[in-house]
Amino acid sequence: MTTAAAAPAGIGDGGELRRASGRLRRRLLFDRAIGWILLAAFAVVLFPLFDMLYWVSANALPTMSWGTLTENQVGTGGGLYPMIQGTFVIVGLATALAVGLGVAAGFYTSEYAPPSVARLARIAGNLLAGVPAIVLGYFGYFLLVIYAGWGFSALAGAITLGIFMTPYVYRTTDVALSSVPKGQREAALALGARPHQYLGRVAFRIALPTVLTGVFFAMALGLGEAAPLYYTAGFNSYPISNLTSPTGTLSVVIYQFYDNPASFGHFLALAFQAAFLSIVIVLGLNVAVQLLSDRYRRRLRGLYQ
Amino acid sequence: MNARAADSAPVLSVEHLSVFAPTRRILSDISIDFPGRDVTGIIGPSGCGKTTFIRTLNRMIDTTPGLRVEGAVRYRGQDIYDRAVNPVLVRQRIGMVFQRPTVFPMSIYENVAFGLRLLRTEEETVEEVVRRSLTRAGLWGEIGSRLDQPALELSGGQQQRLCIARALAIEPRVLLFDEPTSSLDPIAAQKVEELFAELRRDYTVIIVTHNLQQAARVASRTAFLYQGQLVEFGPTEELFERPKERLTQEYITGRFG
Ligand SMILES: Nc1ncnc2c1ncn2[C@@H]1O[C@H](COP(=O)(O)OP(=O)(O)OP(=O)(O)O)[C@@H](O)[C@H]1O
Ligand SMILES: [Mg+2]
Repeated sequence: MTTAAAAPAGIGDGGELRRASGRLRRRLLFDRAIGWILLAAFAVVLFPLFDMLYWVSANALPTMSWGTLTENQVGTGGGLYPMIQGTFVIVGLATALAVGLGVAAGFYTSEYAPPSVARLARIAGNLLAGVPAIVLGYFGYFLLVIYAGWGFSALAGAITLGIFMTPYVYRTTDVALSSVPKGQREAALALGARPHQYLGRVAFRIALPTVLTGVFFAMALGLGEAAPLYYTAGFNSYPISNLTSPTGTLSVVIYQFYDNPASFGHFLALAFQAAFLSIVIVLGLNVAVQLLSDRYRRRLRGLYQ
Repeated sequence: MNARAADSAPVLSVEHLSVFAPTRRILSDISIDFPGRDVTGIIGPSGCGKTTFIRTLNRMIDTTPGLRVEGAVRYRGQDIYDRAVNPVLVRQRIGMVFQRPTVFPMSIYENVAFGLRLLRTEEETVEEVVRRSLTRAGLWGEIGSRLDQPALELSGGQQQRLCIARALAIEPRVLLFDEPTSSLDPIAAQKVEELFAELRRDYTVIIVTHNLQQAARVASRTAFLYQGQLVEFGPTEELFERPKERLTQEYITGRFG
């Protein structure tokens, strides 16, 4: 206060920028404390993740070889080639199904549906996302494996897993489309675009990076879930040559071979190897999706201002 | 009939137009004729219905759920609210530029070409039209050499003029502007304003503005809306200097709004 009195009104000596008052200083200390607390919370969250990564790698890597990727499982030994193949086939098909259904439903909800229908559709999407995976597994089992008579098959697995993944794609598509700036829609329609042309040429371009993230999220979940596949795709120690054979997947390997009375020796090793491979696939997928969605997001720079 | 006479026939005429929201009336029984190749200003205090009114003129109002339109808007005699009329075709003839620039996240070129692509225009023609539209919007000199650049990297004023070029590209007859300069800095606003003098020669231009000086500068006729009603419409000079209505007088002398 004395400086202010000495200097003409409104003109300080510059030192005032450095001398924080007691109250301001307390506030700054508080800000810093919050920063540390958040960092600690972050560490608490990350620790189990790194611990898990270490635990899986430490158990998997010593028993892995090139053969893990290329050989069939034989007895208690061999590799995971059939399950890697099965995972790619089933998750690939399931993703195609989930993207088709989820993106279409998202387009419908955000652009075409009357408000009351849109509200119902969103509730239905959330409900489906909340259905336990094992329930979907049984559903696929009774409907496809038994009732339709397909037996355990890659196709039954892919459809069940695809339905499991759909609500995640649907929700992100809906949210991404709904958060496109309103002016974009107005501008497109004012230029004579029909709603589907606005969606295809403008809105989807803006929503794409977010939709991709949603698709990745759904794929990561799909890669890790054994429940929808255990009763639908079944298991197979051999690679498949058609979609109607029982098909092994990495997630089912983990489920079957890890905490199983027969889990000893190489069975347990196979479970760890499958877990390790799943993690590697998810990480690889994450990096790829991140790069791709960053590329698309760059086009949007300056859109939200 | 000579050209002058053809132009004085109204291109757009609004007949007993009312717009209703679920619980209230937004516009009441507005009738007004917009002559061809001219700039008409629409002024009025905030909330009086200017945006609602201009959006009825190209059926953009259809895109707001819950509003009901009564009366007629005739484009060269055809009521655009007739059941047989396709709103998409209406909007191709009656273009619109908004308050904030709404460029798409695409290149400058693709922005201007947007409407043409919807019409499946041949690429050769597209190129030519893009060039002509940018020139008309006074942008060719500034950005003609970097058409591949993302349009979102342009300044706000350039983006707004790009939106005008984009609207021009599909060759509308009427251009609607809803406060086209209110989000721009004075210099950018002036550049957009200068365009109106250009555009009046070929288009029927209707501009909503809350800037009375702007209306006085660019519009040869001005309409004053108040609480959803058309209070006065006439040559700009008369409306500003010898208003017939007391409400108009009070508004232009800044007693409200
Ligand atoms: N969809 C709608 N539902 C209900 N009321 C609406 C709707 N759109 C506009 N209104 C109301 O109609 C009136 C006119 O709105 P409008 O946006 O046309 O005014 P304006 O003259 O453009 O105002 P401003 O100068 O602030 O832009 C306002 O009172 C507004 O609240
Ligand atoms: Mg308005």
